[in-house]
Amino acid sequence: MSAAIEVRALGFRYGEGTEALRGVSFSIAQGECVGLIGPNGAGKSTLLLHLNGLLPESLKSEGSVFVDGSPVTADTLHEVRRKVGLLFQDANDQLFCPTVFEDVAFGPQQLGLSEAAIRERVTQALAQAGIPGFEARAPHHLSVGEKRRVCLAGVLACDPSILVLDEPSSSLDPRGRRELKELLRQIPITKLIATHDLELVVELCSRVIVLDEGRVVAQGPTVEVLSDEELMLRHSLEKPHALRHLHPH
Amino acid sequence: MRHDFLDRYSRLDSPIHRLPPAVKLVSALALVLAVVLLPPSRPVFLAAVAVVLLVVAALSRIPWPALLWRVALLEPFVLGVAILALFQPGGWRLFVILVAKSTLCLLTMVLLSNTTPFADLLRVLKAWRMPALLVTTLSLMYRYLFVLVDEAQRMQRARASRTFAPKRRRAWRTMATVISQLFIRSSERAERIYAAMCARGWR
Amino acid sequence: MHIPDGFLDTKTAVAAGALAAGALGLALRQARAHLPPRRVPLLGLAAAFVFAAQMINFPVAGGTSGHLIGAVLAAVLLGPSAAVIVISAVLIVQCLMFADGGISALGANIFNMAVLGGVGGWAIYHLVSRAVKGLFGRVLAAAFAAWCSTVIASVACAGELASSHTVRFSVVLPTMAGIHMLIGVGEALITALVLVAIARARPELLQPDEATEPRPSYGAVVAYGGVIALGLALFVSPLASRWPDGLDKTAEALGFKDKTAAPVLPAPIPDYEVPGLHWSTLGTAIAGAAGTIVVFVLAWLLARVLVPKTRPENTASPPAGR
Repeated sequence: MSAAIEVRALGFRYGEGTEALRGVSFSIAQGECVGLIGPNGAGKSTLLLHLNGLLPESLKSEGSVFVDGSPVTADTLHEVRRKVGLLFQDANDQLFCPTVFEDVAFGPQQLGLSEAAIRERVTQALAQAGIPGFEARAPHHLSVGEKRRVCLAGVLACDPSILVLDEPSSSLDPRGRRELKELLRQIPITKLIATHDLELVVELCSRVIVLDEGRVVAQGPTVEVLSDEELMLRHSLEKPHALRHLHPH
Repeated sequence: MRHDFLDRYSRLDSPIHRLPPAVKLVSALALVLAVVLLPPSRPVFLAAVAVVLLVVAALSRIPWPALLWRVALLEPFVLGVAILALFQPGGWRLFVILVAKSTLCLLTMVLLSNTTPFADLLRVLKAWRMPALLVTTLSLMYRYLFVLVDEAQRMQRARASRTFAPKRRRAWRTMATVISQLFIRSSERAERIYAAMCARGWR
Repeated sequence: MHIPDGFLDTKTAVAAGALAAGALGLALRQARAHLPPRRVPLLGLAAAFVFAAQMINFPVAGGTSGHLIGAVLAAVLLGPSAAVIVISAVLIVQCLMFADGGISALGANIFNMAVLGGVGGWAIYHLVSRAVKGLFGRVLAAAFAAWCSTVIASVACAGELASSHTVRFSVVLPTMAGIHMLIGVGEALITALVLVAIARARPELLQPDEATEPRPSYGAVVAYGGVIALGLALFVSPLASRWPDGLDKTAEALGFKDKTAAPVLPAPIPDYEVPGLHWSTLGTAIAGAAGTIVVFVLAWLLARVLVPKTRPENTASPPAGR
């Protein structure tokens, strides 16, 4: 079985010459949950945009991205976007329709499904995201956590096989964070989570990739990598509390 | 969110709220047109319309002070233009009729907007073949109105917290900076929204 | 300047509505043809921006405050067709959500503010900024265009009210035009300040003309021009000949003379007529032209203050990456 996501020697440069990614290589197996960590400015968000074909803008850069074995090119773009559900950092940017229903229905609509099928997908997705019955709600009346869930539902409604999340737990209160963790644990598909929340990584991810200055500086089993205090500190991170105390969580 | 005052009553539950949005929009339009086209010599009709509106208002369960406040907010504009009508023969009569008609129409529209979420109105307009680009623009505008008003408020507050000696000239420059920042951020946000739309397969 | 319901008669509302629909339709077609897909969300965001910007208070004197209208600002930043769409969207939402502006007057309001204000304002901006180069030229052009568009829109508004026989020409024109000549000054000032601020922070945002909308095609120019000319002919030209007599008569009848809107022109031109010339229309035109020139000079001075000569034109640092 081919890897869910495979990235080979990916490089990317922003217009005026800032090299954001250099020779990034990794692969994620079907069903794995992998964490992507690194300091601010490491290139995490840029990397995530490549997994959905949003970057590079002309789909021609050094190295390549493969989703389910096929390369991401201009032809496969729409299929890739359906398979790889990308959750952006700012829920406000992603939740752009005037009601929850319309927003979650956006993906299925673009896929050309029938009215009935769309309605069903929306109901299911909202239930999966833990917010059944939110269809008629207006986005500006929702809390940050609720907006995140709507965005998640919007992505799930497209029936993706891979979930890519950018800072899913930021701005959430402790309860919101716990609920998010439970939610993600229950969704069985392949996941890549870019985050500063190292505790979340310990709790959810079996493997971890460390990115700094556009390069992969380490990857491996979560506990092993995150316990390497020197490595963590060197890359503006730290050893998470969950690993400092050796009782099981 | 602090700005739901702009949209607080459109989702209450009442017999009026439960009417289909198309019905409400058509009725409001019909009422406004009827009032506007009415020749001035039928005050009885205006009184009848007023009664209908008051009944609708009562059924809608919107708190009276809120309704009155909203009408009162816009009344000055009506009065301001109507006053100009005074300066001609028969001016007083015309003034009264203008104010009466206009206020009734105001009340109609206030009732419409407070019993119908804008998203529903938009859906009706879309069904009435409003051009797609305009619908998208209105939809995004409505969605991000509150976000931007919020941002503007936060920026003003941040500036105010660092203003120790308010001077009018400084104030103008500051406000201009806030507005320019608002545009820049809106521009950047629009790019991110475009990315989000593409990520979900927008064609 | 939002006209409420009940002040326009059928023929005026319908005529204005038809003109507005035509211009808006044209703007939508232009945008569909020339706007790159990545800029589509910007229309909606810009409309929200204009709405939010209009809520910001600019303190004037003794508790009063001014507000931005934003038609010319939108036109400078986004191009004329996008501006029409954006301002129309603002007006539609204001009408449907806030009852600000009557629904039967929506056509007139869109014609005045989105079409005349947006396209007319852009045209003035375009001409002046072609003649005077650099950021200085653009600020000057934008400030002047902002004032002009405010006044022109108010004149059309007055024309519509008068043509509906709601108010008399002689009363509504000086009031509306007079007030908006003052409001226009605020609009010019705010527009200029905002543009300069944007130019300093993100200069690349001020180069929208080619990206958002290449120079409008000859057909589009003719079409917009036609709509505007027709509107002005319908609503404004009847005023030109009748106004001065009406004003005098009314002023006499009501002892209203003291309360006429404060003239922007300096005292030497009393009653908007050049002494010695008895043809009132010509006098009005000359007085109007003089007023406009004065405002142009003021706009020039403003732009000079905001964009000093010593600063080189391209101080912009490369745009920030992601």
